[in-house]
Amino acid sequence: MGDSFVHLHVHSRFSFGDGAADLDELIARAGELEMPALALTDHQGLYGALRFYQKALAAGIRPILGAEVVIDAAGFMGPEADLPPEQRLILPAPVGSGRAQGYGGWHVTLLVRDIEGYRNLCRLLARAHVRSPEGPSIISVRDLSRCAGGLIGLSGCTRSEVSLAVLKGDVTRARTAVRRLRGCFEPGNFYVEVQHDLTPEAPRRIAGLVALAESEDIPIVATNNVHYVRGEQFRLHDVLASAGARMALPGPYERPNAELYFKSAAEMRALFRNLPQACDATLEIAERCQLDLGLGEFHFPSADVPRGETPYSVLSKLAWRGLEERYRPVTPEAVRRLQHELAIIQDLGFPEYFLIVKEIVDHARSRGIRYSGRGSAGDSIVTHVLGITDADPIRHDLLFERFLNPERKQMPDIDVDFDSARRDEVIKFIYDRFGHDHVAMVATVNTMTARSAVRTVGRSFGYPITEVNALSRHLPWVSARKIKEVLETYPECRNHPLRDPRYKMVVEIAEQLDHCPMHLGTHLGGFIITREPIDSWTPLQWAAKGVVVSQYDKDDVEALGLVKMDILGLRIHSAISDTVEIARARVGSEEVPEPFDLEPDDPRVYEMLQRADTVGMFQLESSGQRNLSQRLKAERFEDIIAQISLFRPGPLEAEMITPFIRRRHGLEPVIVPHSGMERPLRDTWGVIVYQEQVLRVSQAVAGFDLAEADSLRRAMTKGRSREEMARIKTHFVERAVERGVSFQTAEEVFRQLEGFAAYGFNKAHAACFAVVSYASAWLKTYYPAEFAASIMNNEPMGFYTPRHVLNDARAHGITILVPHVNDSEARYIVERNGTAIRVGLKDVHSMNNRLLEAVVRERIVRPFRDLADFLRRTGAEPGPAESLIRIGALDGLGVTELDRPPTRDEMIALLPELKAVIAREGKAGDDVLCLAPASTRPAEDPTHVSGWSVARRLSAELEYLGLTLTCHPLELSSADFAARGVTSASRLRELPDGTQVTVCGVRERAQTPRTRSGKRTCFLTLEDATGLLDVVVFEDVLNRVGDVIVKHRCYLVTGKLQNNTERGLAIIANDVQPYIVRSAGEPVRLRRGVPSGPMGPSLGGAGAPEEESWISAQQAAEDPTAYGVHDAL
Amino acid sequence: MGRNAAIKGFDPAIGHTMDLFDEKEGHLSVILEILKSPWVSRGSDLLAPEDAGIGKRRGETIAVAWDDVRRVPAAFEWHARAYRVDEIAQLWAVERYWWDPRRRISYRCWRVIARGGTYDLAYDRLERRWMLLGVQD
Repeated sequence: MGDSFVHLHVHSRFSFGDGAADLDELIARAGELEMPALALTDHQGLYGALRFYQKALAAGIRPILGAEVVIDAAGFMGPEADLPPEQRLILPAPVGSGRAQGYGGWHVTLLVRDIEGYRNLCRLLARAHVRSPEGPSIISVRDLSRCAGGLIGLSGCTRSEVSLAVLKGDVTRARTAVRRLRGCFEPGNFYVEVQHDLTPEAPRRIAGLVALAESEDIPIVATNNVHYVRGEQFRLHDVLASAGARMALPGPYERPNAELYFKSAAEMRALFRNLPQACDATLEIAERCQLDLGLGEFHFPSADVPRGETPYSVLSKLAWRGLEERYRPVTPEAVRRLQHELAIIQDLGFPEYFLIVKEIVDHARSRGIRYSGRGSAGDSIVTHVLGITDADPIRHDLLFERFLNPERKQMPDIDVDFDSARRDEVIKFIYDRFGHDHVAMVATVNTMTARSAVRTVGRSFGYPITEVNALSRHLPWVSARKIKEVLETYPECRNHPLRDPRYKMVVEIAEQLDHCPMHLGTHLGGFIITREPIDSWTPLQWAAKGVVVSQYDKDDVEALGLVKMDILGLRIHSAISDTVEIARARVGSEEVPEPFDLEPDDPRVYEMLQRADTVGMFQLESSGQRNLSQRLKAERFEDIIAQISLFRPGPLEAEMITPFIRRRHGLEPVIVPHSGMERPLRDTWGVIVYQEQVLRVSQAVAGFDLAEADSLRRAMTKGRSREEMARIKTHFVERAVERGVSFQTAEEVFRQLEGFAAYGFNKAHAACFAVVSYASAWLKTYYPAEFAASIMNNEPMGFYTPRHVLNDARAHGITILVPHVNDSEARYIVERNGTAIRVGLKDVHSMNNRLLEAVVRERIVRPFRDLADFLRRTGAEPGPAESLIRIGALDGLGVTELDRPPTRDEMIALLPELKAVIAREGKAGDDVLCLAPASTRPAEDPTHVSGWSVARRLSAELEYLGLTLTCHPLELSSADFAARGVTSASRLRELPDGTQVTVCGVRERAQTPRTRSGKRTCFLTLEDATGLLDVVVFEDVLNRVGDVIVKHRCYLVTGKLQNNTERGLAIIANDVQPYIVRSAGEPVRLRRGVPSGPMGPSLGGAGAPEEESWISAQQAAEDPTAYGVHDAL
Repeated sequence: MGRNAAIKGFDPAIGHTMDLFDEKEGHLSVILEILKSPWVSRGSDLLAPEDAGIGKRRGETIAVAWDDVRRVPAAFEWHARAYRVDEIAQLWAVERYWWDPRRRISYRCWRVIARGGTYDLAYDRLERRWMLLGVQD
């Protein structure tokens, strides 16, 4: 057997809390040490198995899949607690994450020998995890014996029953356990595992295990229970273990040393100098593990196909029928294209996939559930005629080869967005149609960023939560490996507590946790559907949200060749459906057409887009999009597609927007190096914006067919090396020259393709989105009140806060009516013939469903008379009742001795007494309670029914509703603004380009997107009483004012106005100063201070200005109870 | 001479007789087997986990001669007396409290047999010094 060795017991970071080894590092180390094979045996699952399998194969190392599982006691029947105390073994600490956590049992290592073993391991894990949503995930010995085919069992680590019994000296139990375990496996497939972890007890344990194995005639095998790749990473492992168990260091396992690293063969053989057969056994086992997962094959669920038909024949019939419905008249081009696509789909073997997607969308359509297909699926006429996507691929010149490339057999991916309010109905259909045993949700692996890494380390170091909060908050959203860099270079981190030298180790370890898997999450809408029972393909477990989820993420599922369907919920669909419903209820069904079926040519809609009046519009509302709207001046549907495509990370990074706009407005000539590029680039003025254009240009200039052209595009996009690029270029130029193109022209065309191929956007995706964008724009144009109310009813959605959505509606002349118990519903409603929105009660702090129902139910009987009447009939609890009083929902009810309704202060003062009286008398009596009004402070504003000043009403609205209904907070500073010469948002458009201005606004968003130059530019979206302000803070100014932007919420900005067609409307900041709105000398809060959770107002929340929340870690550490920390961003 | 005087003073090189064994190798193999035996527990193992494997604690700095070829201690000097390491009985490592510089321990320990007694030698990787951690029971 030589001097080699194979590690058969290895934990990666996918052991979630008990492993710090990165998969790439593990494989690289195994390669360095020339190990022929490597196993991965994470706790309780195969989370990282698929990616490990692929990476190891690519590195020329044989992957051995496996898992370390928790099993029932095998050494005796029954639970450990049934034994007399002196015979009990100490049970290991819990392992695994979330609901797959295993405890109350013993560790056993399972290795997969072949595909049967893989399926059995998946089944075993699924059975253990899914058996019950609560309780530990333990495999029973009986299950193990049933599903051990194709598996090799190792008796387990130092926390196995056998090891612990040996160390305790309980020979009988050790012997019984080892016999029962051996009995589970096929003969010759069970080994006694020995580990020399360099602890004082290791020699005794090994000697005992060897003696036991010899007496039972079981072979032994040596492992090192690898938990990290290099010795120095033990700290990382301890931190992860502590964080996983929510404990301070040393964590739950209390490992005594740093010896669980990836040791070389020489080190392992030195440790087992006297037991060479234990090391040889690793090679022998590795040789026997020959798993082939058959990656590259596809496994489709079965579609409904009538007898005598094939999936293709059914698909073909449906497609031709659909063609007649979609294209009137049917054109020869459409026929040719459909024939072409159907032939490719048949060749690739995908007809069943299309039929399944159609089945799902047909169900949604039959139930009136709004949906839209998106992504590259929009490139296909088949998906269009089947009713899956709405954008016409012929009209928009979308290319099928971008979706399905016959040269590359890849699983097609059709994403469909459904009305998020009714998505559950679609999901139920999928489970009912395919069976619960054949459907599971796709997992996501949540990984650490800078903030979560710092939190993980801070908590494992035992810092108080306030200190952890102070350390992690206010860090930018960057990857963890950049923490040191951002602390040193980002202006907003100038005074960050992590810069204190005593946190040096925190930063150092946090950086090493970059991208470390934290826990298994659930994909937003990805479902796996299989023909065979799903647990023969993937291990399953309960997700935190109570659904059964695969242990694999979407890439793993794709690698396995399983069908993944994205059933995503899109709230704009819900908002559009709601708008149509409310509008039809007001004006009649025939007056409001189906917005997705509209011809996208309404000039009023385009006027609105050109004004950048796009708040609420799908994909067109962000500050960047609004700026682009002003510059682009969309006039037709193609412009909307371009607008959606241009404001994307790729095109932005490639700075495509400027040449696009300049050429569109005739500021620079449209020149293309080859006449063949004119037609494909006609709609985008010679700029390559779409991926489809790369294909068309390659076809026109170099004569590539579209499949070949798509392969070229992919090669130019993904991880291209310089050599590879040179090879592609030579190929392209040669082909072009063969067609008579000059060498220089061919080189220039390739240079342009090379520059843009990596950044271009998928036009089909943009076209599918544009259909929804146009529908939302049309509804906002013609039914603004219904549209705004529907958006409010479906929050959270979109780019802006609900507060701004309402302010925008107000700016469109819609009256915003305050909530009132005698008028409001739970949801926002439209009143006064479409000119007013009544705020709903559902967003009021501490409101609950029971009370909402009671309010509406009782009001139908008769309106509420006064506070006592309201309390008695609804049974409102003091908390929600006080919230309703504070926001004015009970204003004007009842009459006091002074012959006026009670003020809010008086009602709040009366509330406890009324509740007590009602509790005493019960609900039966309907007498009017005669209570003298409690003495309260005098009304601040006797002219208003509430008795409260504007500032106080505003503060209460923000605090209890998160909205500003009385007025915009900055209206309170109008005198101060006049004195300072502050310009309002609505006036900016009138001022000439280059004017020096001072503006003031409350922050809606702050973004620092990536730029090609690597410089940081902050785009601030501010809001004043008249509208939105876009402020650009370039790096030199940002370095000066970065901390002001992070720490404060409202700013006074001075800068130069940019107001031209080429660049749009924005303020280029010279200086940004904090601004505190004051009323009668007191600061007015500008953000909601009441968390929606059950804990009530946070410490220091009510009325505290933003800047008070910025505390240092030192202050928090000194007195953790004295400060409440709020999210600043 | 104190406790274990007989063990400490035992030195076949100066003519002490072996009552039970004819030669040193036979003596050692029995001791080693006893130390490895899973069925025998030492009193020292009942101590707190961080003291595991340490019998009578000493913690004295000593001088150790290092065998570069075998990468084990070859001899050590304690109380002005030289002890040649006859056999390495056990090797273990301790790495604890790394997050607290005041409490951190980073040892590599050898349980050695010398002059008929069992001694725990430790190399402190932080301080780069040798210590006699304890004399075994």
